[in-house]
Amino acid sequence: MGLIIDNSRLGAPEQKLYRLVVESEMARTARPGQFLHIRVADTPAPLLRRPLSIAGIDAAAGRLTLYYRLKGQGTELLARKRPGEKLDALGPLGRGFTVPAAGELLLIAGGVGVFPLLSLGEAAGRRGIPCALLWGGENSAFFAAAAGIAGHIPTRRYATMDGSFGVRGLVTELLTSRLAQPSTGGGLTAAACGPYPMLKAVAATARAHPLPLEVSLETTMACGIGACLGCALPGRDAAGGRVTRRVCLDGPVFPAEEVEWL
Amino acid sequence: MAVTDMRVALGPLTLRNPVLAASGAYNFGEEYAPYCPASLLGGIMVKGLTPQPRLGNPPPRLAETPAGLLNAVGLENPGLEEFIRSYPPRLRALDTAVIVNIAGFTVEDYALMARALSGVEGIAALEVNISCPNVKHGGLAFGADPAAAEEVLGAVRAATPLPVIAKLSPNVADIQAIARAAERGGADIISLINTLLGMAIDIGSRRPLLGNITGGLSGPAVKPVALRMVYQVYEAARLPIIGMGGVSKWEDAVEFLLAGAGAVAVGTANFTNPRAPADILRGLDAYCRENGFAKVEELVGLAHK
Ligand SMILES: Cc1cc2nc3c(=O)[nH]c(=O)nc-3n(C[C@H](O)[C@H](O)[C@H](O)COP(=O)(O)OP(=O)(O)OC[C@H]3O[C@@H](n4cnc5c(N)ncnc54)[C@H](O)[C@@H]3O)c2cc1C
Ligand SMILES: Cc1cc2nc3c(=O)[nH]c(=O)nc-3n(C[C@H](O)[C@H](O)[C@H](O)COP(=O)(O)O)c2cc1C
Ligand code: FES
Repeated sequence: MGLIIDNSRLGAPEQKLYRLVVESEMARTARPGQFLHIRVADTPAPLLRRPLSIAGIDAAAGRLTLYYRLKGQGTELLARKRPGEKLDALGPLGRGFTVPAAGELLLIAGGVGVFPLLSLGEAAGRRGIPCALLWGGENSAFFAAAAGIAGHIPTRRYATMDGSFGVRGLVTELLTSRLAQPSTGGGLTAAACGPYPMLKAVAATARAHPLPLEVSLETTMACGIGACLGCALPGRDAAGGRVTRRVCLDGPVFPAEEVEWL
Repeated sequence: MAVTDMRVALGPLTLRNPVLAASGAYNFGEEYAPYCPASLLGGIMVKGLTPQPRLGNPPPRLAETPAGLLNAVGLENPGLEEFIRSYPPRLRALDTAVIVNIAGFTVEDYALMARALSGVEGIAALEVNISCPNVKHGGLAFGADPAAAEEVLGAVRAATPLPVIAKLSPNVADIQAIARAAERGGADIISLINTLLGMAIDIGSRRPLLGNITGGLSGPAVKPVALRMVYQVYEAARLPIIGMGGVSKWEDAVEFLLAGAGAVAVGTANFTNPRAPADILRGLDAYCRENGFAKVEELVGLAHK
């Protein structure tokens, strides 16, 4: 449960991006990469809750920040909620990112996949871990609305397919050129979230380097707490055996080598 | 006013109250503990068990539909051996009636599982799933043919002293014929409905949305079908009934009891409201008190009078 403090659009309407700030005791235990499972209406349709990543954690103020893009009925109903209304949310759910204790952290984002990485960047910053964001997006219109939400991450590199913002190309190219440079002492680790093909490509690059990588995955969820097995994906256990993993409970963040890339 | 007597007797199976968790929605009962302790429930029906472990179907396994949910999990489960090795102490700790749901691919599979589970301490009953729409062989094949249903139930009956629940599929032409066959085979209780076979297509990719192509529909959308089938089975067979299919709020539970169910199971509603079973129990108790029923069992079948 939470109380809505802010639920407002970011940037131009066509970008359909929203920020949701909730006051909740969940902020005290939330970890970067975990998610909330939100009931957007009291009616039988839409039936299921909607999972949204925790993008900002202010434990002292008891506030969580989430960002979402309008997709269908669920997110549209969510966008109608006003400050002062209650938010029926389960959470914080799932296993989040590892916040490194030393070294340097790369955040690799595709489009709105940046959201869960924002709270990881926040936590790494508090530990004094140098942190860089490599962020691929559609075009400059997307970044005009979204770029501001990553302002707390000290180093930022952007890529767009049309070259209208940052370099022309894919985020994987940003990663390849970053990996060509020497890293500072203590070693480099990475975390990624974005469309599946992007994550698959990032995982292949990380394996080849090698670069320790965690990825945050998405599947359709029902229960959100591990009880229905509806969100499960094929994976590998640490010994390489075939398993199925519940994205909601065993994830959404997984070591890249434990994902069976399809 | 005194609280309602919520105990129900379903043939050989006595439950502390008539609200259970449906198989497949509750895994092995532990995940919902922070929201709705299993000890509040009449019982839990655990995830369908098969003789061998199964990894289940490829993703996506879920698709939301208007007031409904399609699933094609494909009986992902740890398998009989691992279940018997690791799960009984955890299940006993839940402090509720544990009903083990079994699914096989041959009659021998069912008999073998029933025999193996009979020696396990803390199992209140077996629910024989002859209705899973999400695996290729077996499952639904047994539930769609009266002779096959009778044979499977007969084999399970011969293999175990535990109460035997026959879980029926709605994907049949004549539910009453299947219910009578289950009764002849020796089932003690009938549970219904499993999910209704359905599908959804992604108009973007122009391909079926589920990895398994078809899936089983559950949730509020199926409730009228489930209620009708409970009503019909009550008239066709003498066995007690566990009704399920879209039970989401206490009013639904009252309807199922009036239609003839001695208890209800809650599946999909947990996903929306993880406290749904507790909320339903409270509402059921209040309904009984307000309407002068000292025992919840007095409601069973009243719609037939
Ligand atoms: C762990 C996790 C974290 C997420 N974090 C964010 C976030 O921070 N911000 C954000 O904007 N989005 C996030 N998503 C995606 C978000 O949940 C979906 O965009 C949302 O559920 C769509 O709902 P809708 O009713 O608006 O759209 P629908 O009309 O229901 O669907 C539109 C599309 O979204 C897909 N979808 C529907 N339900 C889900 C679901 N439960 N999970 C994944 N995809 C779904 C459908 O397949 C469809 O293609 C996250 C998803 C997961 C699994
Ligand atoms: C995700 C999911 C998994 C299920 N798995 C099983 C199962 O393993 N065995 C079984 O007999 N029924 C299974 N069912 C069917 C339910 O037990 C129940 O019969 C059906 O969903 C109707 O009830 P509901 O509308 O309350 O969900 C499953 C249902 C869902 C939604
Ligand atoms: S959504 Fe139910 S197990 Fe993950």
